[in-house]
Amino acid sequence: MSEFSIVGKRAERKDVRSKVLGKALYAGDLYRPGMLHGKALRSEYPHARIISIDTSRAEKLPGVHAVMTHKDIPGINRFGLAILDQPVLADDKVRRMGDAVALVAAETVEIAEEAIRLIKVEYEELPAYFTVEAALAEDALPIHEGGNLLQHTKLRKGNVEEGFAQSDIIVENVYQTQRVDHAYIEPETSVAELDHEGNLTVWSSTQYPFRDRRQIAPVVNMPSNKVRVIQMTTGGAFGGKDDITTEIQAALLAVKTGRPVKVVWSRQESMVCSTKRHPMKIFIKTGATRDGMLMAMEGKIYSDKGAYCSIGHFITKKAGLHLSGPYHIPHIKVDTYAVYTNNTICGPYRGFGILQASFAHESQMDLLAEKLGMSPLEIRLKNALKVGLSNATGQVFEHSVGFYETLKRAEEYMKTHPLEGGVE
Amino acid sequence: MKKRGRGIGCNLYGIGYGFNRPDHSAATVDVTDDGTVIVYSGCCDMGQGSDTVLCQIAAETLGVPYEDVSIVSADTGRTPDAGASTASRQTYVSGNAVKKAAEEVKAKLLEFAAEMFGCEPEKLDIKDGKVFRKDDPSDFMPFKELAKDAHQRGKQFIAFGWYDNTTKDVDQETNQGDAYATYIYATQVVDVEVDTETGEVTVLQVFAAHDVGRAINPMNIEQQVEGAVAQGLGYALMEEIILKEGRTMTPGFNKFLIPTAMDVPRVITSIVEDPEPKGPYGAKGVGEGAIIPTAAATINAVYDAIGVRITELPITPEKILKALAEKQ
Repeated sequence: MSEFSIVGKRAERKDVRSKVLGKALYAGDLYRPGMLHGKALRSEYPHARIISIDTSRAEKLPGVHAVMTHKDIPGINRFGLAILDQPVLADDKVRRMGDAVALVAAETVEIAEEAIRLIKVEYEELPAYFTVEAALAEDALPIHEGGNLLQHTKLRKGNVEEGFAQSDIIVENVYQTQRVDHAYIEPETSVAELDHEGNLTVWSSTQYPFRDRRQIAPVVNMPSNKVRVIQMTTGGAFGGKDDITTEIQAALLAVKTGRPVKVVWSRQESMVCSTKRHPMKIFIKTGATRDGMLMAMEGKIYSDKGAYCSIGHFITKKAGLHLSGPYHIPHIKVDTYAVYTNNTICGPYRGFGILQASFAHESQMDLLAEKLGMSPLEIRLKNALKVGLSNATGQVFEHSVGFYETLKRAEEYMKTHPLEGGVE
Repeated sequence: MKKRGRGIGCNLYGIGYGFNRPDHSAATVDVTDDGTVIVYSGCCDMGQGSDTVLCQIAAETLGVPYEDVSIVSADTGRTPDAGASTASRQTYVSGNAVKKAAEEVKAKLLEFAAEMFGCEPEKLDIKDGKVFRKDDPSDFMPFKELAKDAHQRGKQFIAFGWYDNTTKDVDQETNQGDAYATYIYATQVVDVEVDTETGEVTVLQVFAAHDVGRAINPMNIEQQVEGAVAQGLGYALMEEIILKEGRTMTPGFNKFLIPTAMDVPRVITSIVEDPEPKGPYGAKGVGEGAIIPTAAATINAVYDAIGVRITELPITPEKILKALAEKQ
């Protein structure tokens, strides 16, 4: 019998009944008296200076209550999870397709969309960089002040030259991963409203209301104790709702109009404007002895950040810290580079850089196993991290390193579930 | 021709923010006047199940039925800050905050109960909704009665718990150091069938063994793993946001393909419990770890099946046919 009463039990989820019965309230289900609908005008260029914005025709459209550009922002025109590098509404320039340039609040979504089409923006195109290599070229214009190399990290454990010298076999490869979307079922949604005392409430589909508040308050120029953010039932997030999406847009329009405002991104806006998983180019070289012991690993990771940081410098660093996988390797050298480009923004997505790392290290493990005449399982069992063995950062745990047991479970599974029709 | 293969993928994943990034959580646990309990936590449940897990931890710690615990979560006007629901950190960090708050509430309750039992608080415990003498469990009082009595006398049982998971920083030049408080680990086995004429990959079955420290709710873990495997297979086989000079060429689900129910195979989850002493009841987490090894295992399974190694994700039929043609 378990020592616990409820820990370890298949307790019914607290949210299951309301979701199964269709009663759960998502931000999109909120309707407030007098509520308006907000839409953003998006940049049509990946990198361009803004010469002028003409909102006059949009303002005259019946049913439009507010048209806002960067000049109408009461507070700061910047936000960002870790670095305030993203304008709420583009001011001097746009850095990617989909940068918000203007906002409209109107009585219906259709009127808001029509008003968006009536706004005229004059751009002067700038050279744009769509690959890490192009962005890092010496003559590339800086996408942000401070240049296009956002961060370089170095991991150094032992002495890789020595490790490769002790290796009988070395496998070297380049792996490339793609940009992907979270594809949550519920797109980004917020409703914002000022109450009778001038307090602002934002109901949102989010992963962290406190950090939303931290980013909303300075933009609307209100103290944090007058801004309240409430997470509504959220239809998936996976990292994509960690960043600000609709929250500030709804808040700005509600403050401007004095009316409740709902902002829902269309699926297309979600695909274009929300963060994506980083494409990474991973150079990796792994060395092992004849009996299959890993001796050295050297790697370089280039991640395409897109136009803004989000939290991508930490993701890229974490990928580097995990590039040696769940194995003990005495000698490791990894460099990571997070690079600004004029592509769609990359940010957190379930796995935080480690899917990319594991794609590389696990491919390497199978390549080594094949060359050594070992099974993929055997080489992993031999090198598995255990209590007392150091990982890539030199950290040693005395407890809870359950990796070996996961391999043993896999071994048992493969014995009891042979792959029928497999290739010998 | 259809060929089958099997591949292994493994990973580790550091729980929480790591390398000295501020990583804390707070929670409040309140026993109401009828003995039901409310957990107030800033933690967002986006479907991963944190509301459920935090209520289980509160119920276990206080010794009350799970059904009597509810939660108010993720509202800056009502709940304390729990940090973000990211980095697979909420079971570990917020779980600890809730546990600490519940422990303090329990200690206060036992102090109050000790007066009524006429004994030392240490002689008492609470389990299954009963306050009882440890040396004589037949001498007990229903928890709800105790709560009611207490409230009538103006006593309140509410406590605030705070847990700090901020780790030391790593060396800036070498990244050496204790970067994360703990790691989760996994091994997945993916079986595929590759059609060498069309290049299509069909996933037959996935086995997923995950070290989570302790399973607070095994059903929740299975749900996390099953969803993650589906997402991981999408990443491995079909998903790609294609940009042309910065413009998104795949702005809808007609072009950005994700797995449907027809693409998702049977997933067999095997939960490994290697308890982490600092985790609540030994728990670490699972959310992100669950998705990581799927693509790696799929790549290795495709190699096992047809002998070509794809080094660029996703493994589309076009890439497979091209690689097969080059191999011949």
